[in-house]
Amino acid sequence: MSSNPQIECLALSKELRSGARTLTVLDSVDLAIAPGELAAILGPSGSGKSTLLGLMAGLDRPTRGSVRLLGQELETLGEDELALLRRGRVGFVFQSFHLLANLTALENVLVPLELTGQPRARERSLEVLEQVGLGDRLEHYPSQLSGGEQQRVAVARAFAGRPEVLFADEPTGNLDSETGSRVLDLLLELQGAEGTSLVLVTHDPQVAARADRQIHLFGGRVVRDERAAPAS
Amino acid sequence: MKAAFPWRAILAAVRRESRGSRARLVFFTGCLSVGVAAVVGVGALVGAVEGGLQAETRELLAADLKVSARRPLPDDLDEFLGERPFRRSNVLELAAMALHAEAEASRLVELKVVDELYPFYGDLVLDPPERTTADLGDDAIFAAPELGLELGLELGDTVSIGGADFRVAGWVEDEPDRLDFAMTLGPRVFVGHGGLARTNLSKAQNRLRYRALYALDETTTDDELDALAEELDEKEGEYLSVDARSEAQPNVGRALRRVRDFLGLVALLSLLLGGIGVAQIVRAWMVGRTRDIAVMRSLGYRAIEVAAVYLGHVLLLAALGSLVGAVLGASVPWIVRIWAPELFRGGAANLWQPLAALRGIGLGVAVALFFSLSPLGSIWRVPPAAVLRAEAAPLRVPLLVRWGAPAALFVGVLLSAWSQAGDWSVAASFSGGLFVLTGLLWAGARGAAALCARVPRGRLGPYLEHGLAALARPGAGAVGAIVALGLGAMVLVSMFLVEDRLQETLRGALPEDAPTLFLVDIQPDQWAGVETLLDEGGARSVDSTPVVMARMREIDGEDVNELVERSDERRARWVFTREQRLTWMDELPEDNVIVAGELWSVPDVDEVSIEVDFAEDLGVGVGSTLTLDVQGIPVTLRVTSLREVDWQGFGINFFLVVEPGVLEEAPHFRIAAAGMDSVDGEYALQNAISAEHPNVTMLRIRPILEKIAAALERLAFGVRALAAFTIVTGLVILAGAVGSTALRRTREAALLKVLGVTRSGVVRLFAIEYALTGAVAGAIGALGALTLSWAFLEQVLELETELPWIAIPVTALAAAVLSIVSGLAASGRALRVQPVETLRG
Repeated sequence: MSSNPQIECLALSKELRSGARTLTVLDSVDLAIAPGELAAILGPSGSGKSTLLGLMAGLDRPTRGSVRLLGQELETLGEDELALLRRGRVGFVFQSFHLLANLTALENVLVPLELTGQPRARERSLEVLEQVGLGDRLEHYPSQLSGGEQQRVAVARAFAGRPEVLFADEPTGNLDSETGSRVLDLLLELQGAEGTSLVLVTHDPQVAARADRQIHLFGGRVVRDERAAPAS
Repeated sequence: MKAAFPWRAILAAVRRESRGSRARLVFFTGCLSVGVAAVVGVGALVGAVEGGLQAETRELLAADLKVSARRPLPDDLDEFLGERPFRRSNVLELAAMALHAEAEASRLVELKVVDELYPFYGDLVLDPPERTTADLGDDAIFAAPELGLELGLELGDTVSIGGADFRVAGWVEDEPDRLDFAMTLGPRVFVGHGGLARTNLSKAQNRLRYRALYALDETTTDDELDALAEELDEKEGEYLSVDARSEAQPNVGRALRRVRDFLGLVALLSLLLGGIGVAQIVRAWMVGRTRDIAVMRSLGYRAIEVAAVYLGHVLLLAALGSLVGAVLGASVPWIVRIWAPELFRGGAANLWQPLAALRGIGLGVAVALFFSLSPLGSIWRVPPAAVLRAEAAPLRVPLLVRWGAPAALFVGVLLSAWSQAGDWSVAASFSGGLFVLTGLLWAGARGAAALCARVPRGRLGPYLEHGLAALARPGAGAVGAIVALGLGAMVLVSMFLVEDRLQETLRGALPEDAPTLFLVDIQPDQWAGVETLLDEGGARSVDSTPVVMARMREIDGEDVNELVERSDERRARWVFTREQRLTWMDELPEDNVIVAGELWSVPDVDEVSIEVDFAEDLGVGVGSTLTLDVQGIPVTLRVTSLREVDWQGFGINFFLVVEPGVLEEAPHFRIAAAGMDSVDGEYALQNAISAEHPNVTMLRIRPILEKIAAALERLAFGVRALAAFTIVTGLVILAGAVGSTALRRTREAALLKVLGVTRSGVVRLFAIEYALTGAVAGAIGALGALTLSWAFLEQVLELETELPWIAIPVTALAAAVLSIVSGLAASGRALRVQPVETLRG
């Protein structure tokens, strides 16, 4: 690895309490993601994939261990400081799209750009929506778009601010295979073009197969960490 | 890590949030606009009436400065003006009988004795118009047209007043220094000073009101006038009343301000209920926005920035709702003018009251802001991890947000109350009382919810059980809806109960055996003749008492002037310096009860019995001595008993009753009370007494009571209208609470339909839930209302009150019905929607 990792997890554990029972969702995970790396986290339902993603992105707090994201120790930061760290530097694509329902496609993409006060935000949003093939759906509301289209808006929103790290949680999970495949193509294409680090959570081996690295989780532990052979 | 506040992004988000919120807009606007309309309506109405008075201040006083008293004005009165050039007009006022001998008709009139200078400002409008006060001379009068109608008088006819004949020389159409809505005893009659001298009314000195009207140099400023008035007030304030043109009709002004303060608080109650509705709507809205908040936080919004977006939206809605309310409220003076044009004197009143409207908008927005803070605090609880896992554990709310929001709410309510009442202690009692009541309602609602949760299931049928479960379910908003509706019901029911009891008191004010008329100024040698007339006229329960006028000179050996100087309160001074009316009697009337000492119990001492409250005002008790100046002769009396008097009984009663044998030789007159069964009989007696004893004045109680009733009725109408505002707000709140949970309702309805419940079945389920909410709110609200009105009537007004327990089931039933109607109306969409649409998401 040529430079410092962008994400680094050390002995990361997460326990959830359910009544009197304590459930260990994640158990002593050590992990580092390099700049520009495309890492897929694989595993069956309940293996802790999404929890790991949430902890790495500073959306959630670990029970033990630490996360270093973009050079910041997350456990030392308050909720507002975490929000400021995410602002403009971290992007997300979620399984259920999570577009803001009362905003048009264009406005959904504009939101993170406006928040960072980026100049020419509208032009950049138009450009990235054009890139995902939605140049003719700018003024449509999420309810007027198909699932694939909504996820493409989400991809555009995630990339619009040129984040250093992008987290994608089952981005194709709610789409049929053909649409899912197109969205994945788009995600990887943009990731390649922007040089963004991408952490992709999936349970689909075919999706994972397109990553540089496959991290297998089972029962909250990393059971296998494989890097794909460099393309010849 | 510091970052600039992203204003532009937040403003853009506020603008976008406004979309797709039609239901929220309607309910939010509904909640606020009703309350703001009430606040603005009261403010605009009082402002318009008061503004009308202010616009014509000099005309309303007919002078720059007015000095009045109930006894002759001091000879050196003018000295306070120093070297200032002035003109002075002397005016006297008293009630007297006017008799039209030809028509054998008489009427009590308000006599105003004026000179040629009257009025300095404003116009005495007469018909024929060329007449002036100079035409009064010694033998003419100007009379109000209604006297002409009542006595069948025409111009040039002769009318007898106080034993002297006068020619009707003109009709009074308008008079500057008299308000149309003031209490009056009868039609106005103007007479000259020479005219009064011809009558035998000068014996009625004790009923005369003396006024000196001053017109000063045009260069005299309002400030100089105020200073002069204040100086005179300080010097002679114990018995002189001084008014400057800068505050004309101060009594009316004070009365108006009291009405404004009282109605203003009732109106504020309606606005605060609207605030509860706003809080409900915002709470439900935040629940519906949990996912969006999580998304925004994952995108890098700080909690305070998310709160700013929603607060901005709240303020937009609040401004809109308040604007609608302000427009409605601002139109109140126009509406009132249709049925009570006399309130707006001379058309000078400016009905458009922009300040009242602006104040209302300000209050509306502030109330919305303060009530939204707590529900907006829930934004801090939403974890960004909710984008991944809906059940992610909520975050801890910072202490400043958790405690700051309710503290701000209390301060906000206190400030609003202060701005309405203009008095910190009233504002504090109002806010404190409101919070205690809300707390009790909240506790009652929680108790009801807990009770519902404990009702054993499986016996009541699915519909009722669903309703009970809905009330018991945590986070369903039922407690909030019950508190809001309950407060509305409590306000309405307590107002109804208090008003009903007061009306009853008024109706019962004249019991069967109570006198219906009083006769005053009967000279001792006239009493036998008057008694005969009463007897012949069929009067019953005739009661007559001698009256001796006197002034207090010393109390326990101390000069009252020194006591006056030591006392701060105006009332206390009045007690010492007023003209005291004394009587003597052997035995006390039945409505007098001795509470201390014993009547006429000490031999060789001249005794007096004092009414117990008056004794307290004077600072005397059994054993004290009073020295009274009885028309120049000092009379010393020892207090040997204190009495309680039932003043509501309409009998003839006195503060000071003297032992027989002390005052008999002093100059005195008699007053009498009698009961007559018919109004016609009263008129016939009035005519007979006017003809034979023109100086005797007869006061009929019935018309006075009717006037009081009419005045009360007006105030009651205002209170009822405002109470209706609160109940409308309560209903809007319920509809709002239901409407804002549309998402949950829609899912619930869809699920029920999938499970096989028909649409009418869903309607029944929902109806039972709304009915239970309404019934619980109504019952708790009515219980609170009974307690409140009992406390007010018994403790404040000291009226015996029987609690109408029936109010509880009646209110519960009414609230349940209204709740079903508004709840189902707001659930329309949830009921219509196809289940598959909803469940597919």
